[in-house]
Amino acid sequence: MTCSPNGRGRRRVRERCRAVAEVFHVHEFDNGLTLLGQPMEQVSSAAVTIALPGGSAGDPGELAGAASVGAYWLLRGAGERDTRALHDAFDSLGCRHHEDAQNEHLVLGAALLGDNLAKALAIYSDILRRPHLAERAFAPCRELIAQELESLEDEPMRKASVMIREQFYPQPLGRCPLGSRPTLTAMTPDAVAAHLGRLLSPAGATIAVAGRFRWEELVYVVGELLGDWSGPAMPAPPTAPAPRGLRHLIKPTAQVQIMLAYPAETIRGKRYYPARLAQMVLSGGTSSRLFTEVREKRALVYAVGARYHSLRDHAGMFVYAGTTPQRAQETLDVTVAELRRLGEGATEEEMARARTQLKSALVMQGESTSARADALAGDWHHLRRLRSLEELSAAVDAVTADQVAEYARAFPADELTALTIGPDELDTSALAAPGRRPCSSSKPDCPTA
Amino acid sequence: MQFKQARLPNGLNVIGELNPAAASLAVGFFVRTGSRDETPEVAGVSHFLEHMMFKGTDRRTAFDINRQFDEMGAQYNAFTAEENTVYYGAVLPEFQDALLDLLGDMLRPALRAQDFDTEKNVILEEIALYEDRPQFRLYEKLMAAHFAGHPLGNSILGTPASITDLKRDDMCAYFQRRYSPSNVTLVGVGKIDWDALLAKATDACGHWSDYLAPRAVTDHAPAFTAAVIADEKLGRQYIALMGRGPSAQDEDRYAAALAATILGDSTGSRLFYALIEPAIADEAYCACECLDGTGAMLTFLATAPDRAAAALGIVRDELRRFQDDGPTEGEMTAARNKTASSVTLQGELPMGRLTAVGFDWVYRRQYRPLAEHIDRLMAVTAADVVRVARACDLTHATVLGLGPNKTL
Repeated sequence: MTCSPNGRGRRRVRERCRAVAEVFHVHEFDNGLTLLGQPMEQVSSAAVTIALPGGSAGDPGELAGAASVGAYWLLRGAGERDTRALHDAFDSLGCRHHEDAQNEHLVLGAALLGDNLAKALAIYSDILRRPHLAERAFAPCRELIAQELESLEDEPMRKASVMIREQFYPQPLGRCPLGSRPTLTAMTPDAVAAHLGRLLSPAGATIAVAGRFRWEELVYVVGELLGDWSGPAMPAPPTAPAPRGLRHLIKPTAQVQIMLAYPAETIRGKRYYPARLAQMVLSGGTSSRLFTEVREKRALVYAVGARYHSLRDHAGMFVYAGTTPQRAQETLDVTVAELRRLGEGATEEEMARARTQLKSALVMQGESTSARADALAGDWHHLRRLRSLEELSAAVDAVTADQVAEYARAFPADELTALTIGPDELDTSALAAPGRRPCSSSKPDCPTA
Repeated sequence: MQFKQARLPNGLNVIGELNPAAASLAVGFFVRTGSRDETPEVAGVSHFLEHMMFKGTDRRTAFDINRQFDEMGAQYNAFTAEENTVYYGAVLPEFQDALLDLLGDMLRPALRAQDFDTEKNVILEEIALYEDRPQFRLYEKLMAAHFAGHPLGNSILGTPASITDLKRDDMCAYFQRRYSPSNVTLVGVGKIDWDALLAKATDACGHWSDYLAPRAVTDHAPAFTAAVIADEKLGRQYIALMGRGPSAQDEDRYAAALAATILGDSTGSRLFYALIEPAIADEAYCACECLDGTGAMLTFLATAPDRAAAALGIVRDELRRFQDDGPTEGEMTAARNKTASSVTLQGELPMGRLTAVGFDWVYRRQYRPLAEHIDRLMAVTAADVVRVARACDLTHATVLGLGPNKTL
């Protein structure tokens, strides 16, 4: 199946978007693999995002961290090539590649000159279908992940952002991709190889390509390389309720890390665009509420902000502030007050700025092949279709201030999931919904610790 | 792609790389000033001043500035480094004039006393933020050790004491000394309307009065010290080495960039095979830092404390071996192609092109199209790389460790 999903509305593309007028292609292979493409005439690079369902959430509990270990292990020889030959093959193509276990996917990504795309895809075909997974290469890969886990202890901001997801999302969806020391220690090469055997399957896998390429050639090349690949779909992991609640981790840091999270509409949900506008009003630019109130007026922080993040079935607004201990309580209180004030609505001026910022960011991201390849894969994962710049712009334009206020009341910052890392505990009694007593622990019992 | 250049009567340099096919444009004011232009008693003033530029002018309040950037949907920021302070924004083409009007006005700030006192706290928070990042701490101390006695060793952020003690008058004096229009380059890239850019630059900046803002550019003879900063709170051991490298004006910088890629790219490099593949370190990389009149080769690694000494030994062996034997032809091809890919990807975004075009001009008074940069990279031979490695002498470096260990 090949289609251009934005065909009908193209006539309405506005002048300023013309330079990045888009064409999309979709091809679904019989084995369950989906190929997505966006040719871009104005560039010479091409970017590839390969997303395999599973990711860190798909790791069995006793193998937490397996997808991360696997992401390294897959590059330790495949097909006819050993580790060095595989890296040399990528390098000689000038291919910048990365492999990450994300929450819902194992992602292999690359950016290179479009002329070399077919050769890079042939290497990926070996990695996906013929990885060596040699036993002697397993221990170093596991050790690298163990070291990355250890590094988190030295970088409290990164640690806090990993921990808040674990605390907020249903388990194991927000799990730390690096696993934990006990699971890494217990992991065997056989168990991880068996798990990778399930993960490396065309069923539900997506390959997204953006940049300089010809679609017909791409379909042919991928068909030749992966058309006869087969395997069953990776089952979705069973989930358990999120831990949520309030948590203090005592650590002698220079700044207190404050992380808050509360539910948001998913990308698939009908209030998605109001959610994005709400996030922009809170934290879109330096005239946004959090930056203005917490930093500009009170100089409580250097960094403060709210980010929207969505898994397929769950989404959250994640709020960060970092501040020195003597300012931490006021920072927390002012930040929470701003989140809650959004229920009273946004002004027309705020809405206009939020719309312009969102649309402008979309156009500018449209110039990057890597950003576009990621966006195609993301759209397909969440929506099973590709959104054009025009559709996104129209949807952003259509959101009213009333809808943002209504959204903020439907997804209030009432019952906050909170995490602080710092030398002292904060008073978090105001964070829970009225009438509920917060439970608090100060033990460093984080699963990543 | 078309290059344009002009100079306003007051000395402001204006350059543009015009790309009619781009969807957006980026504009930046590159001020040739940074921590190396500070005296010790005002350490951190360049960076603090960069913050103050966003706090208002005679025509605009701080909130006006923030609001107007956001109304354009601009992606904007500023950064301060050892040698440059850059204020920039990327917008859709219809906002070119408005962005330039705003940035131009910002560069003649009101520096109100109350804003100065308030923003001081933000700077102190920023210093605290970096205190929780060991790699940053190590880099700052490494620069101080390697460039001891040279202004490049100055801290960009300053210290809590220097910032607390800084007076508004000190900042005004620094501004008067460094922000002369002839010390500033206005750079536009992407879908730029050149005539409109020049007209707006004249309108917004033509009244700035010119004066000399010299910088003493001296080379430096490092003492190559070795030391460790013990910090028991850290779990990992961080080690950095800094040796000599070509300056930003030296054509050998292309060969040095390839040497750094072959030695210490994040994948497929010598340090990757020697340290990352066997999991002796989880981070190891090399970079070439080309500065005004001098340069440095940086190697960085992060390891478990009990493997730090072994890892450092391996790095030293690899640097020596590379300098003695040189790269293979396969390594040269890979490094050329990887670097060309990175440069191309960066060049496809107006924001990425802005710094490349800007620094070409600031450091070399020269414009080089992206294709010429790639041609020069492609023309570097293995013999060039060996010659540059030996001229820098990779085996001599300032070494600094940070972590729980008491010795290197």
